[in-house]
Amino acid sequence: MRNKKNAFYIALAVPGIIWLAVLFVVPVYAVLSIGMGKLNQMYEAPVAVWNPFSWSSSNVIDVWRDLFGSASFAGPVAARTLIYVAIAAVLSLAIGYPAAYFVARFAGRRKALFLVLLIAPFWISYMMRMLAWIDLLSTGGYVNKVLGWFGISPVNWLGGSSVAVVLGLVYGYIPYLILVLFAGLDRIDPALIEAGRDLGLGRFRTFVHVTLPLSRQAILAALLITVLPMLGDYYTNQMLSGAASTSMIGNLIQGQLGTPGLEGQGAVLSMILLLVLLVPMIYYVIATNREAAR
Amino acid sequence: MPRRRFLKTGAGAALAALALGAGADGLLTGCSSDLADTGTVPLPRQDHPVTWPVYPGNAAIKSGLAPEQDATLQVYTWEAYINQAVVNSFAKKYKTKVQVTTFNTMNEAVSKLRSGLSYDLLIGATVDVLGQLIEGQLVQPLNHSYLPNISQAWPDYTNPFYDQHWQYTVPYTIYTTGITWRKDLVDENPYAMANPWAMPWQPKYKGRVAILDDYREGICLGLMKNGLFDLNTTDYRQIATSRQALQDLNGLVNLRIDNNDYSEVPAGQTWITNAWSGDMAAAASYMPKGVNVDVVGYWFPPDGRGPVANDTNAVLRSATNPVLAHTFLNYMLDLPNVLENISWNGYMQPLTGVTPQVLVKEQILPPSLISTAVQPSTFRRGLFELQLPVDADALWQQAWLVVSNGI
Repeated sequence: MRNKKNAFYIALAVPGIIWLAVLFVVPVYAVLSIGMGKLNQMYEAPVAVWNPFSWSSSNVIDVWRDLFGSASFAGPVAARTLIYVAIAAVLSLAIGYPAAYFVARFAGRRKALFLVLLIAPFWISYMMRMLAWIDLLSTGGYVNKVLGWFGISPVNWLGGSSVAVVLGLVYGYIPYLILVLFAGLDRIDPALIEAGRDLGLGRFRTFVHVTLPLSRQAILAALLITVLPMLGDYYTNQMLSGAASTSMIGNLIQGQLGTPGLEGQGAVLSMILLLVLLVPMIYYVIATNREAAR
Repeated sequence: MPRRRFLKTGAGAALAALALGAGADGLLTGCSSDLADTGTVPLPRQDHPVTWPVYPGNAAIKSGLAPEQDATLQVYTWEAYINQAVVNSFAKKYKTKVQVTTFNTMNEAVSKLRSGLSYDLLIGATVDVLGQLIEGQLVQPLNHSYLPNISQAWPDYTNPFYDQHWQYTVPYTIYTTGITWRKDLVDENPYAMANPWAMPWQPKYKGRVAILDDYREGICLGLMKNGLFDLNTTDYRQIATSRQALQDLNGLVNLRIDNNDYSEVPAGQTWITNAWSGDMAAAASYMPKGVNVDVVGYWFPPDGRGPVANDTNAVLRSATNPVLAHTFLNYMLDLPNVLENISWNGYMQPLTGVTPQVLVKEQILPPSLISTAVQPSTFRRGLFELQLPVDADALWQQAWLVVSNGI
């Protein structure tokens, strides 16, 4: 009987396993095979090498030099990406936490309405939203017109500004953060918060000593779900800046993948980014398990 | 010679020393992929024309065949590079269907064709990939008897240096790369400058300067700014000089790199940029309400010694409707169809009937942008950016990666 039950649960996992194999494992292996592969000289095109025993390390060595060599050019791009993403993540949390907290704790009967409003940006594609910002931030756009009412001369927002890129990242990904935070905050038992108040804590101290610790996992998950795509983002920078000085690691990878002869290096850099992104993922899994074990 | 070996030998060592001195070691890296195929293709040059071989089993179609009936002509071309109205009029005239599929880069197009995707026609093939297309037998030789309208093209195109005897290609568009500027926002006039290629290097226009997102155009701009006009150079010192000039430019003006010159210059977002003549010819369509197109200027060296390029059309070897494909190529060489195509596309086609005066008269081109029109003499005197040897190409690409990532 138990064996039958086990077989049933394994069968339930089969579609997911097939999905993962076809849409994750195979593509990742293909990227790896290109990164560790060769170059067709006539077409300047990558040749995937599927057999690991025939892999070449030349692309890895080249990318390693680009990242960490004596005068690397990819290293500063990676550092710039980390700085942008860190600032964008902190800003997103600072804006998103109060919003999620409000909806979870104080929205009352209008909770559904607020949730719909939070999801509303997803109804429009990311590209369209960024194109809208280009119109808003252009020299003769509404943002500069509003500034003009206060006597402020037009700002060249789209002239290669780091601020525009970071704000674009915040705008693009904050709905994900708020939704995840909301889900976490909404699950906090109100009785625990009331207990804190009953024990004499003020609103602020209740928040600091009860709500915040209880929402730690939600904060971690929300940051993870926003930081991961931000790290690989290239489109926001391309749309809102386009300047070489704001180029991010995603732009570098995109540039390599689009350049004949450099696709192999782009593949290796993608794999390195994937490995780096695994670190916070693993930390999240460990933290979640630790929390569950309490 | 494999890239790594190239870098380990004299030239590479010299470049290493240069790069160390210039603080750009990255220039050296990334050139060392193992090679899977040592095949090379001839590199056409204006002073070294190439007659491509015709391979057994890849001969031109026979003469006198009727166009395929009930067919769907499969056209493979760049995004937004052909006027759908012209395509529709062809379909109507020849009672056929035409399916247009697009690509975004030549690299993407060649990769997909190599992977076995099947179309009848390749519209807009750049000259630098002709070797790959022909030696890879992805295109088939033309049967000239189906292409009488070649007589309408500039005579140069019946024997272009990149495809002697026009065995595989007919011309599509021709364009130059010059300097575009906003006359109402920029004080200088490149026509009055000693070195107009240096026009972008002005810190007072910080945030208002862009260059094309194309490694050849970018590095060429750096070369020409420094008075170097071999646009197919394999000299690592010249490439490094260009790279340094572009890095300096980035420091001076917070350089933006994109291919939106056609909309950003009319919108006033960009004041100075290198630009393709075809993009600027279409500037009138993108001008904001109330702003006259006369404020957009386009400079190209009056002596014609600047970057020029033409794209080509070819019948693919995988064509299932080769006669119809030839018929379409012929249709695209007929003056009325060509003018209609240019009126939407902006990019000029090298027909004797397509003169600057005709373009202005037909209100396709504003008189203020007549400098975007290309003359036959430009084809002869202009500087073509052509396919590079693999090793040199790697140096160009690496230099561009350094520039485009703001280091």
